[in-house]
Amino acid sequence: MSAIDPGMEALLETFIYESNTMLEQLDEILLESERAQNINQENIDSIFRIMHTVKGSSAMMGFSAISGLGHAVEDVFFILREDANKLGPVFSSLFDLVFQSSDFLKREIERVSDPNYEEGDPSDMVRQLHGLAAVMKGEAPPPAAPAAAGAEAPAAGPSYEGFRRIRIHFEDECQMENMRAFMILNQLANCCDEIDSVPPHPESDATLCADIIRNGFLIICKPTDNLDDVIKIIESSLNIKSYELLSEDDDGSPPAAEATDAQAPAPAGEGAAALPAAGAVQAAAKAPAAAAAAGGSGARQNLISVNQIKLDALMDLVGEIVTAESMVASNPDLRGLKLDNFTKSTRELRKLTDELQDVVMSIRMVPLTGTFQKMNRIVRDMTKSLGKKVDLVTYGGDTEVDKTINDTIGDPFMHMIRNSIDHAIEPPEVRMSLGKPETGQVTINARNAGGEILIDVSDDGSGLDVDRILAKARNNGMLTKPESEYTDKEIFNLIMLPGFSTNTEVTEYSGRGVGMDVVKKNLEKVGGAVSISSEKNKGTTFTIKIPLTLAIVDGMNISVGDTTFTLPITSIKQSFKITDPKQVLHDTDGAEMILLRGDCYPVVRLHEHFMISTEKTDVMDGIMIQVESGNSIACLFADELLGEYQVVVKPFPSFFNKYNLKELGLSGCSILGDGSICLILDANSLVSNL
Amino acid sequence: MDETNVNAVQDDLTGRYLTFDIDDTTYSLPLNHVIEIIGIQHITHIPNVPHYIKGIINLRGKIVPISDVRLKFGLEERDYDDKTCIVIVLINDMNVGVIVDRVAEVVSLERSNMAPPPLSDKRLGDSFLDSISTLNEKVVMNIDVVKFFQADMAELLAPEE
Repeated sequence: MSAIDPGMEALLETFIYESNTMLEQLDEILLESERAQNINQENIDSIFRIMHTVKGSSAMMGFSAISGLGHAVEDVFFILREDANKLGPVFSSLFDLVFQSSDFLKREIERVSDPNYEEGDPSDMVRQLHGLAAVMKGEAPPPAAPAAAGAEAPAAGPSYEGFRRIRIHFEDECQMENMRAFMILNQLANCCDEIDSVPPHPESDATLCADIIRNGFLIICKPTDNLDDVIKIIESSLNIKSYELLSEDDDGSPPAAEATDAQAPAPAGEGAAALPAAGAVQAAAKAPAAAAAAGGSGARQNLISVNQIKLDALMDLVGEIVTAESMVASNPDLRGLKLDNFTKSTRELRKLTDELQDVVMSIRMVPLTGTFQKMNRIVRDMTKSLGKKVDLVTYGGDTEVDKTINDTIGDPFMHMIRNSIDHAIEPPEVRMSLGKPETGQVTINARNAGGEILIDVSDDGSGLDVDRILAKARNNGMLTKPESEYTDKEIFNLIMLPGFSTNTEVTEYSGRGVGMDVVKKNLEKVGGAVSISSEKNKGTTFTIKIPLTLAIVDGMNISVGDTTFTLPITSIKQSFKITDPKQVLHDTDGAEMILLRGDCYPVVRLHEHFMISTEKTDVMDGIMIQVESGNSIACLFADELLGEYQVVVKPFPSFFNKYNLKELGLSGCSILGDGSICLILDANSLVSNL
Repeated sequence: MDETNVNAVQDDLTGRYLTFDIDDTTYSLPLNHVIEIIGIQHITHIPNVPHYIKGIINLRGKIVPISDVRLKFGLEERDYDDKTCIVIVLINDMNVGVIVDRVAEVVSLERSNMAPPPLSDKRLGDSFLDSISTLNEKVVMNIDVVKFFQADMAELLAPEE
């Protein structure tokens, strides 16, 4: 199918979100189990449950590729659930296969929202999984297990002894009748020895809905204890208009029960909980489906998932309120008036808007754990294919950053970890001969530092080879000054230039010379920076500095001519007036420098840099602002300081994309309290362009 | 359903043009591209952009780039007065303001009365004109909005980096 049923569109988001969460959980369990070289019952159950839910909900959405593969994986784990000992001989091939499947599922799920979505073809994996299942079952596969029914359809014979037939009618227009039928079937599997239905496998085909609506859904089952359990489950299910027991050939033929189970009063979650001995499978399978069907999440849940677009809109709105608030409080009409009560009220308002801003910010904050966990997977895949042994250790996964930032840093992390494993960590033999532990270690350590997050990505590998980097840079014509003048730090920074790659051979994982370049670019996009330190044979540490949030900046407003600039407070070291023109020196090119406590710093005259006409061109008239970015420090010369403001960063309209304002030192603009616009300076590019 | 609605609105506006004057020449913009007309206001200069891009303004909390039609047409700069207007134009889902000397009126122009522009008019650079019409004995130059912003927007159509 290429398009999604319009009625399902609303559920699609929920489906994608839930499936992704579960697949991540799946990866985690798999990694953990693989590391332990064993899988315990609990994990088998969880995997089974996850695949079951993914299968169910994707079938509900009509994605047959996903549900087909989910089904195959579920089959395998169903066998394991019965007897975990069957795992032994197929352990590693099974894990590889399940990892592959999980990747396939993730890829598909990523694509389903695409209007031109074409389903991928999982048949190869499905076949392999079936093959594995057959191996695990031994030569003579046991009779088809009820929950694993999809593969081998049991011949439905309505005339067995002890079988009961129940016909269920669903409420009109409750939708997804086939899935509802499937859910019931699943629940009943718990208290019946054998079970079948007409139509069989309702979950496999959405078109069966029409059939179920017309003829009802016939369940043929053999209750384990007695029929009451079965009836109870049916009664507790949602959206059932009526059910009847079809008496045919048996004893006391209970009178056809016609129960009108009006809207089950219990909320979705409770329905699942009310099941007798609610197996985890049923609960898990039921909850998402019911939640999706009801268009809301469980009643007792304290967490809700919100569309990020809404959060972005909220954030924008708060930004507007902050601006509007200062527009009112410092309105030019009020100038010179003594308004005690008004001032008091605006102060109160200010306090509230500050609080509102904090709360909205905190909503947008997500812990880094998720990003870190994805790295586990990369480490696993790489070590397997490269034949290296590497442990990934993470600290500070609970550190929170803005969602946008969190999304942006995933790629850079992946590149860095790939680089570390591919280039830095030596193969086990080499490590042994160097007296290092056989297993290498990559550590990610995140911590809060003021308004910023610092994240170290370090390895205990070979360290960066200064000579090789220099040689490489020389070959690529990247050196800009004599080699002898390069400090170690500067040499390390060379690896972040576009087109630099120290690995002579391009490997599957890294070595195309885009890695560190992309890392730097991506991080700069969110206002971050990378620095490198390395020691030969001890290892390398990349330290990433990223701002906590993007949207609102504490800035110092400065004026140059009639333009107002905002300089983020975090980059300002100090500001001072020049009292003696001799403080400013000129180098041989005529570039200005300033001598401060024995150190020399370059001077950037903002009016010249931005070609703005101003009267204050004498260094004695204006003000110097010393800014720091990364490792470099420079002094900016401006007309005057206007004071400290909180500004809401707005990107420049895309109209200006081609003019590279970012490189010029402007990161965006903002609307001030009086409605005028200020330009936000980016100390980073101002300083690094010198 | 939405589509027909949009079409209906567009149908309503096609053939309607906003005319404005620069020096003694009358130009027009198709009305379905025009969002609103505002008086001239303080424009924040942006460095390192072509001289005809005057900068950005704050339009009710939105940052809107402003380009000066006079300068874009290679005419001399002229001091803004109380007749000077900014016409906010919608193109590619983006608002862009253009500064004109004076907004005249909204007129209906018949497609059949439009003559194609001369192939190349050096004074106008790469022709921005869609066609030329006459209205009450006066010549009206109909600007093709897409062509007008072609040079500025080309980048947006190309992929990033």
